[in-house]
Amino acid sequence: MSGGIAVLLGLLVVAFVSSMLVGGRTIRGFGLPSGAEYLVLGVAVGPHGLGLMPRSMVQIFQPIFVCAASWLAFVVGLGYLIVGRRRVHPGRALAGIALAALVGAAVAGALWAVAGLLDIAQGFERLVLAVGAGFIGCETTRHTVRWVAERHGARGVLSDWLADMARASALVPVLALAVLAAVAPHAPLTTFTPLLRLAAGLGIGVVMGIVATVLLAREFRRDESWGILLGTTLLAAGVAMRLGLAAVATLFMMGLTLAVASRHRLELKFMIQPTEKPVLLPVVLAAGACVEFDAFPKLWLVVGLALVVRLAAELVRGTLLSAFLAPARAAGPRIGLGMASTGSMSLALAFVLSVRVAGPAASAVLLIAAAGVLLGEFIGPAELRRALERAKETRADEAADAAPHSLRQSVFGISDFPASDDESTEVR
Amino acid sequence: MSGHGGGNKGFGTRAVQAGALAVTFGLLYSATQLTPQLEGELGTVAGVGFLLLAGTLLSELLETIGLPHLSGYLLAGIIGGPEVLHLVDHHTVDSLTPVNTLAIALIALAGGAELRMATIRSVAKSLSYAMAIQTVVVLFGMAATLFVVARFVPFLAELGTLPLVGVALLWGVVAVTRSPSACMGILAQTRAKGPIATFALAFIMSSDVVVVVLTAIGMMVARPLIAGSGGFSLADLEKLGHELLGSVSFGTTLGLALAAYLRLIGQRGLLLVLLAVGFGLSDFLRYVTLDATLAFMVAGFVVQNLTAQGPKLLHSIELTGGVVFVVFFANAGAHLNIPLLRKLWPVALTLCVMRGLLTYAAARLSSRLADDEPIVRKWGWSSLVSQAGLALGIGLQIAKSFPAIGEGFSSLVIAAVAINEMIGPVLFKLALDRGGETRTAEAEVSRTSLLPPEAA
Repeated sequence: MSGGIAVLLGLLVVAFVSSMLVGGRTIRGFGLPSGAEYLVLGVAVGPHGLGLMPRSMVQIFQPIFVCAASWLAFVVGLGYLIVGRRRVHPGRALAGIALAALVGAAVAGALWAVAGLLDIAQGFERLVLAVGAGFIGCETTRHTVRWVAERHGARGVLSDWLADMARASALVPVLALAVLAAVAPHAPLTTFTPLLRLAAGLGIGVVMGIVATVLLAREFRRDESWGILLGTTLLAAGVAMRLGLAAVATLFMMGLTLAVASRHRLELKFMIQPTEKPVLLPVVLAAGACVEFDAFPKLWLVVGLALVVRLAAELVRGTLLSAFLAPARAAGPRIGLGMASTGSMSLALAFVLSVRVAGPAASAVLLIAAAGVLLGEFIGPAELRRALERAKETRADEAADAAPHSLRQSVFGISDFPASDDESTEVR
Repeated sequence: MSGHGGGNKGFGTRAVQAGALAVTFGLLYSATQLTPQLEGELGTVAGVGFLLLAGTLLSELLETIGLPHLSGYLLAGIIGGPEVLHLVDHHTVDSLTPVNTLAIALIALAGGAELRMATIRSVAKSLSYAMAIQTVVVLFGMAATLFVVARFVPFLAELGTLPLVGVALLWGVVAVTRSPSACMGILAQTRAKGPIATFALAFIMSSDVVVVVLTAIGMMVARPLIAGSGGFSLADLEKLGHELLGSVSFGTTLGLALAAYLRLIGQRGLLLVLLAVGFGLSDFLRYVTLDATLAFMVAGFVVQNLTAQGPKLLHSIELTGGVVFVVFFANAGAHLNIPLLRKLWPVALTLCVMRGLLTYAAARLSSRLADDEPIVRKWGWSSLVSQAGLALGIGLQIAKSFPAIGEGFSSLVIAAVAINEMIGPVLFKLALDRGGETRTAEAEVSRTSLLPPEAA
């Protein structure tokens, strides 16, 4: 049996296990919100561990991983405007985007400066390091608010605000990746300006979203819908990849277009949502296998700086929230730390960047994203719970029956993965 | 190969589909024009998406003139493939081999699971007569035909009588193969039920065993004739026995394992299990020289007939296969060697016409002897015309075993299969329509709501 088939089968096994874990029937309440255990497992089977999954193997399957990450972006785009069955409030969404961009800008600025000062990277590499590490890692996973809602019965205006802002923040890393792809040198679309490349990448997504919308508008049957959805998404992602554009951004726009234009948006969400985790976790595993710890000298300094600036920026985010948002006043500035949970979406995007843009800067971005996920895992959910307690939006009595606690949660206080997808129940 | 079921789609729907098809072609065409220097793996994802979307849309549009969906898939592949618009390049076509492997595995599993003991018993008499007569008539009839037209075939013109007899015999073996994939494709689309569909399914699925045996025997007999020296080697029979028994044993074990999974876990995660089985086990079976098609067919048969899990397995394959099969057939269309077909079409067409006539004559004879229903007598032959991957695989196997005639032989097989691949599904669909077996099916198609039960 060839090595390629062996790796493919291995990834299918991971997908199978993850589909079981999130099924809600067998091992409900197992796992971490970010899928960090798969990240660690990936490091263990990668070149720095057992060597079962060399980077060359990941390169062979590169189109599959990019497609998988793009599919995740499609899922996020499709559910971008809706929490449960409730529409995301536009004002909260704008605030979420602006504050996430603020955090991203702070980290990006710091890394841009330090890259110049220490002569770590120049030109496009410097941009990849700053924009990649800053903006790709600035989102807040939408699972974190739901975790608190489930475990601690959190309900209220602030919970809704945070849920909407977390969901909206996903736009920032996706756009960052689209910009990086558009300004990349040696792009296949040599006759296009970077702005045109950016527009083309997003435009293909919108066009294919409209195509899918009109095709699904009249007839809506599961068998036909899968063919149309897979066909349109693969075509859009494939064309974007061929043109050197960010397939992730293209599919995010396609999902968003469907969410805006299709009258079957809810049905589509219910149809697509169960595919998220089985696709995501193999990507996280492969990302773990690709993490490099020695991309360039002083790498750990850069990683440490990125994480410290991120936490500081989160405190600024919390300060702004508590200053301008009445329900957040009681929660205090540390509510910003509750938004520090980056999800595996960030990790998937950093992974795509590292396989599409080879080089030490992209490798550093992946490492920073991985470190950010682990840090967010330890800080985010606990801080969020405390902030919502201070805001009196948690109900401990309801939490006891909400879901079973895992051993890790009891012992280490580590949060559990949402029992099923975040759409099956509402935040409130 | 989704079970679209047809339905009465209005002009508006068709116009939307035509517009979407234009966008599909236009988008990929623009991408290839903007980056002509890029071919290969970057185009694979786009190629798969294109084949899936264009195949689905074109099949819907061709449905309006009564053509089966398979024809739409094939046509999408031909138009977008390397020989016409070059939207899908040769590298992409080759890189989709794993999809073909998966599709063949799923088709064999589904085919086996569709075969119920009661069904086989009900058509046992017809099946026995048809199998015997079709095999003998088509095998020797086509061998004789090739022998006669050999002087017009470049790679055969110079051959002596005995080697020519050997090659003709091998051609007869290839002619006996049918297409399980085309049969399953048409039945899945039309959801046909009735004597023609039952006969076709039972015959084509069980003929796989006959083809495996005939190929081994044919090569054993032809080898000394073509080589002009040596005698028969019984080692081939030993290999055949190993292949058949091994495949049946493996298939039985796999079937029981799948049934146990379905019983204990249900359909959760079965999609991924099927993918792993299709990719991984096909590779493994090839490595240990077992017949993957036979093994998967036996597995499906075991699940259906020895356990109560058959319906669950069929349902899961239907969900998975709907997408996989479109890509499979569209890729088959893209694979068609148009220049070769242009070169060999007179001989290939003659051989195909003769094969069709022999198949028809053998079907009439066997139906009369078996006292089949009038509808089977009239249309039973229609499903036996299609040829696809199985025939190509056997042609390739023969070409490898006989390098002296290999290249020419495989080219002729490809050309003939191309014609049968395009005509066969149309004939089968026509027969099912005329036999009234698809009309009842359309009424049975259920409208599936995607909302979960509690939300619907």
